[in-house]
Amino acid sequence: MRRLLSLIALCSFTSITTAAPPDFDKQIAPLLASRCLDCHSGAKPKGKLDLSRKTGAFAVGTPAVVPGKPANSPLWERVAAGEMPPKKPLPEAEQKLLKEWIESGAKWGADPIDPFRFTTSTRAGYDWWALQPLARPKVPETPNTKHQTLTVIDRFVLAKLSGKGLSLSPETARRTLIRRVYFDLIGLPPTTEEVDAFVKDKGADAYEKVVDKLLASSHYGERWARHWLDVVRYGETDGFERNTPRQNSWHYRDWVMRALNTDLPYDEFARLQLAGDVLKPNDPDAVRATGFLVASVHNTVLGNDQMRAVARQDELEDIVGGVGQTFLGLTANCARCHDHKFDPISQTDFYRLASALGGVGFGERAVPDAKASVEIAKLAKELDAVAKELAVLEEPARKAVLKEKGMGKLATVAPSPVAAWDFRKSGDDLIGKLHAKPTGGANFTPGGATLDGKTGLFRTPPLPFDLSAKTLEAWVKLDSLTQRGGGAISVQTPDGATFDAIVFGENEPARWMAGSNGFVRYKSFGGTEEKDAAKEHVHFAVAFAADGTIIGYRNGELYGKGYASKGSVAFKADKTVVVFGCRHEPVGGNKMLAGTVSVARLYDKALSLEEVRASFTSGGGFVTDAELDAKLAPEQRATRSTLRKRHDALAGQLGTLRQRTTGGKTYANVPLAPGVTRFLARGDLATPGAVVAPGGLSAVTGPRADFDLKPDAPDADRRRKLAEWITAPNNPLFARVIVNRVWHYHFGVGIVETPNDFGFNGGRPSHPELLDWLASEFVERKYSLKALHKLIVTSATYRQASAPRKDALAIDADNRLLWRYKPHRLEGEAVRDAMLAVSGLLNPEVGGKGFSDYKIRDFNGTAYFDPFDPIGPEFHRRSVYRFTPRGANQGWLDTLDCPDPAAAAPRRAITTTPLQALGLWNNGFALRAADAFAVRVAKDADGAEKQVRRAWQLAYQRDPTADELKLATKLVTDHGLKSLCRVLFNSNEFVTVE
Amino acid sequence: MHLDRRDFFWSASALGAMAALHQFGGAKPHHSPKAKRAIQISLVGGMSHIDSFDHKPELTKRHGKPLGSDTKPDVFFGQVGLLRKPDWEFKQRGKSGLWVSELFPHIAGVADELTVINSMTADSANHTPALFVQNSGFQFNGYPALGSWLSYGLGSEADDLPAFVVLPDGRGEANGAASNWSNGFLPAQHQGVVFRGGDSPVRDLFPEKAIPAGEEKDSRAALEKLNQMHLERSGSEGALAARMQSYALAAKMQLAVPAVADLSKEPAKLKTQYGFDDAKTADCARRCLLARRLLEKGVRFVQVYSGGPIAGSPRTSWDAHESVKDNHGAEAARIDQPIAALIQDLKQKDMLKDTLVIFTTEFGRTPFAQSAGNVVGTGRDHNKYGFSCWLAGAGCKPGTAFGATDEIGWKVAEHPVAWYDFHATVLHLLGIDHEKLTYYHNGINRRLTNVHGEVVKDVLA
Repeated sequence: MRRLLSLIALCSFTSITTAAPPDFDKQIAPLLASRCLDCHSGAKPKGKLDLSRKTGAFAVGTPAVVPGKPANSPLWERVAAGEMPPKKPLPEAEQKLLKEWIESGAKWGADPIDPFRFTTSTRAGYDWWALQPLARPKVPETPNTKHQTLTVIDRFVLAKLSGKGLSLSPETARRTLIRRVYFDLIGLPPTTEEVDAFVKDKGADAYEKVVDKLLASSHYGERWARHWLDVVRYGETDGFERNTPRQNSWHYRDWVMRALNTDLPYDEFARLQLAGDVLKPNDPDAVRATGFLVASVHNTVLGNDQMRAVARQDELEDIVGGVGQTFLGLTANCARCHDHKFDPISQTDFYRLASALGGVGFGERAVPDAKASVEIAKLAKELDAVAKELAVLEEPARKAVLKEKGMGKLATVAPSPVAAWDFRKSGDDLIGKLHAKPTGGANFTPGGATLDGKTGLFRTPPLPFDLSAKTLEAWVKLDSLTQRGGGAISVQTPDGATFDAIVFGENEPARWMAGSNGFVRYKSFGGTEEKDAAKEHVHFAVAFAADGTIIGYRNGELYGKGYASKGSVAFKADKTVVVFGCRHEPVGGNKMLAGTVSVARLYDKALSLEEVRASFTSGGGFVTDAELDAKLAPEQRATRSTLRKRHDALAGQLGTLRQRTTGGKTYANVPLAPGVTRFLARGDLATPGAVVAPGGLSAVTGPRADFDLKPDAPDADRRRKLAEWITAPNNPLFARVIVNRVWHYHFGVGIVETPNDFGFNGGRPSHPELLDWLASEFVERKYSLKALHKLIVTSATYRQASAPRKDALAIDADNRLLWRYKPHRLEGEAVRDAMLAVSGLLNPEVGGKGFSDYKIRDFNGTAYFDPFDPIGPEFHRRSVYRFTPRGANQGWLDTLDCPDPAAAAPRRAITTTPLQALGLWNNGFALRAADAFAVRVAKDADGAEKQVRRAWQLAYQRDPTADELKLATKLVTDHGLKSLCRVLFNSNEFVTVE
Repeated sequence: MHLDRRDFFWSASALGAMAALHQFGGAKPHHSPKAKRAIQISLVGGMSHIDSFDHKPELTKRHGKPLGSDTKPDVFFGQVGLLRKPDWEFKQRGKSGLWVSELFPHIAGVADELTVINSMTADSANHTPALFVQNSGFQFNGYPALGSWLSYGLGSEADDLPAFVVLPDGRGEANGAASNWSNGFLPAQHQGVVFRGGDSPVRDLFPEKAIPAGEEKDSRAALEKLNQMHLERSGSEGALAARMQSYALAAKMQLAVPAVADLSKEPAKLKTQYGFDDAKTADCARRCLLARRLLEKGVRFVQVYSGGPIAGSPRTSWDAHESVKDNHGAEAARIDQPIAALIQDLKQKDMLKDTLVIFTTEFGRTPFAQSAGNVVGTGRDHNKYGFSCWLAGAGCKPGTAFGATDEIGWKVAEHPVAWYDFHATVLHLLGIDHEKLTYYHNGINRRLTNVHGEVVKDVLA
């Protein structure tokens, strides 16, 4: 960034002609700020010279500036000698200014210098236009014009046009207008009948009726959701190395469509995306809305802890960028390593936002189901009561059994496992039938199951029950403490592709860890180095809770710290086995443990510390059902049996219900413990600075940027406050940015050309008063997007003809003043949708899971995507339902500028290339659609001439001219309808909105 | 600020290319380019510098000794075994005496053409982010690749071929696939175009189903006339005229692409030199020869991959965690002869003087084995602290090595060269000031080199 700054012509500070001495605040302070303060300010200024403060510049004893005496001022000496700033000497004009200021007495102004105070020609300050409060501008007088229906929008537009001697173009032809507004609002062409009806309707409200109908159509949400998805860089895979598909991310896309179709007020639309899970935790849609926060890429291959921490910082930068650009049109992400070089966003501001969003996590979560939640709570209560009854009944018997086994001194009762093995005796399961059999270099010895670290493991038959929450427990002795990656006990799918295991030393030498497939549930426990396990058996247990929490225990004590993983795995009955001595199958590599497992157990719940401790101190003692029964009187046995049955039935129901409820998963924000955010000098984790509390951007006028939260505030509070701050009615950016976005899609160019950037590097508004009027009107109309659309598309500005006019081209070739409606090519999705609609192939089903026109190849956990042309109605849905992986070649849609969702595309490029022509001309889908179009036309009309007319109606919604008819009839006669249909799909008129 | 790039055309050739630089970089090319075109051989997975181009006798001496570092190295898998000597013998080559190991006996034969940089450093030791940085300067998906920047800055010399062509390894695409040759936020025409084998080397070059030649011709003519009538009605809109022209160019591409991809007329002897006759080298040989033909016809930048997906067994990349000897031995055998032949061929055709050859890998490998702390294992882990890449051809100082790692090849000791610097140097050789080739996106005038980059002057002739 630093270098970038220097590229920009620095001619600014001299812009005020100086008869009077230079103005410190307006000329000198910005000069010092941009040239000197990067080094000469802050806690440790270079050369101990702090030029941001008066006391620094005029330091007693060692002043850098001596008023009136440049020659005695070290600051001037160094600058004049070309030594400062280093490498980039000050331009002459600025030198002159600096000298004049010193000569004229070096009057200081606001102290300390705030580099953001004023906008200069190189950067924006607090006085930047976009940050100022929304004012409702006065609507210009209606000029004398032949336009009969001038809206407020038109009056603002005309005021600018007449300033240049220009005027609006006349209203366009009805057929052109209806085609325009159809594509614009719903992304599909009108049918012939719809065009006819409109052309014939002479009522004053004919157009308004069409607009109302389109806004009420569910296709509106499909069309405009696609725009929003571009902005939030919504993709359906993770990106990076594995690029794993997100099977349930479409719920967010669906929610966006529903929200738009129901005209959810935009402030609520924003709030739910930022904090729906917090604001309405029981509302499934509110949870789905948070898919926004995690719409972007997410790396799942992270290496060691240091790499992991850096990746998280990168991820936060991306999230902050997404939130700032989407809702505020500010690139706050540019202030991670230094203050923003162009906008008044300090580095601290960045970390305040990063703190506010510090709890954002990527993953799938259950969609809340209020009814099921009540039921679950009820069942859980019942189950708890039965469990207590059982405990009362069992406890004396349990103690008695333990006493007989020589373990009667236990204060607490050891928990009951679902499977238990004492390998010192055999591999038999002491509870059920999960008898473990040795394979390869595995043997029974008096010490237990011995494993050779090469091929040896013990494996059980498949589990007869489902297993989600669980605890793995084993007493292990290791052959060496330097071995890396062997598993003591592992629950895995029979192929080993999914597993949870107790693993030794894999990621950190001599440390225990919870291993899992692809490290997806791994984090370091941060436990101590193992020193004893080579000498004696060590007890290690890992408890996996249903909510994904994973906690390790060594010898009955907490091992390091537990953590929240991505969620637990539901291992299925008959599709799960337990192995000992191998991290996961297949056998080999560093997965094999060299050592001995004496005793091991499996529980179907996450044991508490107390339970683990009890189990550890029991020294391997536990009580089986049979032993318990033996100690009970017959009637007790019967009661126990009844209670047990009831217990198991309840547990089963609960499990099923939970299963069903969690079946509704959505890819959304899965909050993490946000921790405390620190300012990072140069964005570097190695140089953490002060603790930063969550907050907003201080330069935004209106809502207070201070959230009044402590640095360690819970995630929920942080995001709630962030949502409040962003959507505050007096946040001027919030409304300005969205009305500009909407305008951009209606006209092809925004009032501000850069919809994601209202900062210094972005465009300047072509119609600032109109922008503010629209924004204030939008707020007044309760943030209704549909009202805003209607306001815009009913304006004469929108309805004018598109033909170029020589007079206007000469003055305003780019049409920034809107003297015409500029024609534009349809986006790739709209081209595809129009081909489907015109050919009659379109499957108009709205909402739900999408389809994929990629062949997805999984290569050892990495997904690859090859475009192809699948046939069938489920693939003939609109393009918004297409699966959108990142970094995949989309085939011919790529060439039509459909963006890779790896990055935000607030403004798509519109290119014209030979590859695009080849795609549309030759691609399998395009040819197939042309064939279907031909079949449809042949069905509707007989004879070449009638067929041509019909084809024209379907493709262009008009009759052919005589020349066109002649040309097309000949082509049909010579080569059949298919060739004509192919030509029409490729024609300029088909893909252009005029 | 001028932002409207809508009616822009890829194939505007030299004139358009100048306009692009003019309009958006804000500058004319600052110097006449030394290289008119470039080819990159991209080794995926991480080639061991200490087994190939970075000669470290001290490492051989300390074979079997511990690293002896105060801090534990932060390697990907966290295993720091004992130091391991190279698996191949190093020799001084040619007149220059450049050190190249026996891993690359053929490339060693053209050592006098190489400019080796032994002091590369990377931002990431994680394959895909590292490969992204090597390609685009950023660890995230979504940034334009070097080839895309060159396409944007210089265009193609030919109007019937794309500016940026990608030739993936026959075993598959590297992780990240098309993200590696993405145009990012640059307009779509700057995306790398994959040339496949077969009759239709470019996707959709010909109709998916056969269409009789007469019908094809008449349909084109009808389209042209229809568009012409529409153009007249709509007042000669520039974008519409451009669209018509794109169809004319597409027709030219249909001739040019199969012609350039047809290797049948290349001399048999040359093909043998490239390695067409050997199953090991055939894939790379074909792609290297195709690359030369593409460059000859005016393509600006060709990327040839060595290595497919990262995961899997046996490996299909240079990711030698298990055994450097087995893995690198097999990978080098696939590319060594074709690359050497490419350089000789370019030289023989007098193209090497204005063609830049780039040989890269996303990071290097550790001098210590990836194994338990008391063992000299056979594999090596990722190393972002120091590794080797080389340049050859236009504007480079031939037969030299620049920069150095420490005495065992673990970290850079002299003249570190980050990817930004490497990219700045490549752009410089192609006549571009890396600070001036910019494109506005979301608040920033983006550059290939982000906010960094210094041209490595010492490697320039």
